[in-house]
Parts: sequence; C-alpha cells; structure tokens
Amino acid sequence: MSNYAIEINNLTKNYGKHRGVEEVSLTVEQGDIFGFLGPNGAGKSTTIRSMLGMLHFEQGEIRLLDMDSRKQQKEILRQTGYMPSEAAFYPGMHARDVIRFAADTRGLDCKEEAGRLCELLEVDVAKKIEELSLGNRKKISIVCALQHNPKLLILDEPTSGLDPLMQEVFFKLLLEYNSQGTTVFLSSHVLSEVQRYCKHAAIIRQGRIIRADSVENLSKSNLRRVKLTEDGKEREFTYTGNMKELIEQLAGRNIEDLLIQEPTLDELFMHYYEKEED
Amino acid sequence: MTLLIHELKRNLKSLLIWTLSVGILCGGCLLLFESLEESMAEMAAAYSSMGAFSAALGMDKMNIGTIEGFYATEIGLMFALGGAMFAAMTGASIVSKEEEGHTSEFLNTLPLGRGYIAGWKYGALVVLVLLFQVICFIFIGIGFAGAGEWPPLREFVLFHGTQILMQLEIGSICFLISAISKRRQIGGALGLAMLLYMLDLLCRVLPDLENLKYVTPYYFSNAADIFSTGEIPMEMMLISVFVTVGSAAAAVIIYKKRDLSA
Repeated sequence: MSNYAIEINNLTKNYGKHRGVEEVSLTVEQGDIFGFLGPNGAGKSTTIRSMLGMLHFEQGEIRLLDMDSRKQQKEILRQTGYMPSEAAFYPGMHARDVIRFAADTRGLDCKEEAGRLCELLEVDVAKKIEELSLGNRKKISIVCALQHNPKLLILDEPTSGLDPLMQEVFFKLLLEYNSQGTTVFLSSHVLSEVQRYCKHAAIIRQGRIIRADSVENLSKSNLRRVKLTEDGKEREFTYTGNMKELIEQLAGRNIEDLLIQEPTLDELFMHYYEKEED
Repeated sequence: MTLLIHELKRNLKSLLIWTLSVGILCGGCLLLFESLEESMAEMAAAYSSMGAFSAALGMDKMNIGTIEGFYATEIGLMFALGGAMFAAMTGASIVSKEEEGHTSEFLNTLPLGRGYIAGWKYGALVVLVLLFQVICFIFIGIGFAGAGEWPPLREFVLFHGTQILMQLEIGSICFLISAISKRRQIGGALGLAMLLYMLDLLCRVLPDLENLKYVTPYYFSNAADIFSTGEIPMEMMLISVFVTVGSAAAAVIIYKKRDLSA
C-alpha cells in the first residue's frame, strides 16, 4: 500500500499543437492538504482533468489512492470528491435533486451528511439551479463533493465566487475532513489561502512544475522585502543576496527608518516565476 | 438506471411537446375525416392521376377517399416526419448537451464510467422513441374511434413497427453525431431527417435514383407501400438495423476515447 494519495509521473498532455502540460511529476502524501499553484493557463486544470479521466494523456502515469487512473477510473471516482472551477448543473433541476442525483450515482444514502453540509453552508435546496448565484452553485458543488465522505478531495479553484465568510466555513470543513483522513488537493491562484491551509504545494508554470515542496520550505528563501525611509522618502523593494552586502550598501546613506521582512508567498511566487524566466 | 430516469426527466418537456403536437395533429385529422369524406372522394380522383406526384406520395396505390388510404398517405406522412424530427433532435442533443451546458465535468466525474453514460443515454433515446409511439397511438386510436372505422390491424402494426426502426435509425445516426460534438447539432439533425425524406421522394420519382431506397429509412417504412402490399422489404430493414446498431456502437466507442471539455 503506497503512502501517496496522488502519484503523477511524467504526465504529458497536449491539445494538438497547443501545450497542455509537459513531464509533470508530483506526489501527494495521504492525509496532506496540497496546494497546486499557478496562474490561468499554466496547466492546473489540465493536470486535474487528466487525473479524473476527462482528458486522455499521451505520456506518463497517474495513480490516485494507489489505483491506476486509466484502468480503475470508476473505483477512483467512487472514493473521490471533485469540485470543478465552474459549478454548472442542469437548469430546471432543484438544488436538492442535484445533490440526491450525485449521491444516487454512488449508490449511497448521503441524506444526513448532505443535510449537515447544506445547513453549514446555508444552501437553499428548494431553489432551482438557474435561480442560484455563482456562489450558491459553488456551495452545491461543495456538498456534492463532500457528502459521501471521500478519501480524496480534488478541488479546482474552490473559493472563486464564495464570499469571505463562506470561504472561512469552507476551509473549516476541509480541515474537519482532513482531520478524519481525507487527502485534499486544491488548485488555486490565491496564494494566501495556500499559505494558510496547505502543508505542501507545487508551482506550475507554462505546463511544467517549477517547484514542489512544503509550504514552509517554499516560504524560506533569501528573498527579503526591504522598506526604508531615506531623506524623507519611502522606498520599498525586494532583495536577494548576501545580507552583509545590503547592510554595507545602506551604511553610508541617510536612512531614517529601515524594515527588512520575509516575503509573502505572493512575492515568492513572482520571484520563482521571474527566476524561471531568467 | 439512475441516469436513465434522469435523462427521461430532462427530456419530458420535449417529449410532451412533440407527442402532443404530432398526436393531436394525427388524431384531429382522423376525427375530421368523416366531415371531409365527400370532398376526399373528389380529391382522390384528382390526386391519383398526377403522375410522379401521386407516386411520390403513394396516392397511386391508395385511395385517399377511404380512411385506410387517408391514414396511409396523409397521416402516415405527418407521423413519419414528426417522429423522425423528434428522434433526430433528441439523439443530436442527448450527449453533446453536457459539454454545451458545461455539465460534462459534473456528470463524468461521478463514478459511472463513460461507457455507462453513453449506454444509458442511448437507452433513454430508445425509451423516448417508444414513448413517442405509445402516446401518439392513444391520439390516433381516439381519431379512429371518432371516425368509427379502423384500419387493417396487421398493416397498422407493420407500419408502426417500421416507424420505430426508422426513428431509431435516424436517432442513432444523430446520437453518433452528438457523441463526437461539443455542441448540439439540432439544425444538422433536422436537416438530416428532411434530407432522408427528400431521398425517399427522389427515388420514387426518378428511376435513375432508385438505389437511394437502400439509403433512406423512409422507403421501407412508407405507409402507402405497407398498407397496399401488406409487406415490408426485409433487406432494407436489415440495412437499417445494421446502421442503427453500428451508429450506437461507434458513438459509445468514440465517446469513451475522446477528450471532454468542461
């Protein structure tokens, strides 16, 4: 039995002449909350949709919950909860019917858990899909992904469209499921939520993984944010290099105030991107 | 089974609109037959001597002045065209509507499997075609009862049996188109239903195009032919079965292999 909930080896998927992802490899340990970072078009959704069998990839191997994604797709999906970035359902259906339909396809009675989730997320199940806002459709998507107590949760930009209060409730729920053993894999371009909730993360750029590590290690770098006041003027910049050299450069100048801070994950993210471009 | 019920519910409105339209039209015309019977006799004489036009509509074989002839030439045509268009539209949208409506990602990430999804969607198409027949039967039955006359049972059953196969063939071809498309091809589907009818007319009127009878399913399911001869051309029906099964199988295979958009 593998210790990994997700193992991707050399995944390559192209759309004709257009790039999808190239030689993507990453592993996610069981019980982890893993952040998958990258801007729009970097290859996050292509990777996720290859994992779930929506896309047929040319090269590589994907194993989820120790099962081959090509050969055991149905069994993987039985134990997985997925929340797409775009929460689209059948117009004309009531929210409760969508939730019940998702449970019925699994052959499970999820009424109790679905009811609890709907109450926590304040879902109006009596409404028709077309009467719901994007945020409320997202909530239905959360209920459909969680109601069967999945072993693996795959979430594609889960918080887009949710208000800040609902985002709090959503992450509380994720932590609760995670504490019961559910592995969480979430793609995002909101770095603060990855920094706050994820244990490990990978950064993808132009279809390639450029860094994968613990969030703690990703945050550690010799990059620093420097804020200073010189001759009454405030300046702010990022600095990478020897700290002694920076202090020597600043020593002879009329510095009134100086603050050297660790960078935010956003700054680090940009830093990794710029470094790759160099 | 869950998906079959889901699909039937999703298509209920369309089924009701089409069956009520075609059923009421067919049944209503039959109810009007009694009052038109006298003028129909005059029309029958005129229509039967219109050469190619009479042959194309089967009026050279059946007397439009009798209820049997009226059903075989007028009602049979309305029923065939209505049923074919319903089957074509349903087949063309039943798979591709998922990608067009962005529900493909929701459906295909449930633990069903692509083969199961395509298989049950095809099952739903078959059930919808059968329901179309059954509901229209009720209206046609009311029409015959109102007219006080009934057509010969054997020919009536043969005609509606071939209609089911004809609708399934057109529905299956459109189902295949739906399985390879990301958008619903409703215009193309209705165009196909009409084109095949055109081919039927052409092969009846132009002797050089006679072989088109092997292409169009309207030929073997023609009401005037069935009611006048009491027979159905088996070789064309076998071709139809082959096209129906082949289209459905190809649709499932292609749907299992292709990339799906959200």
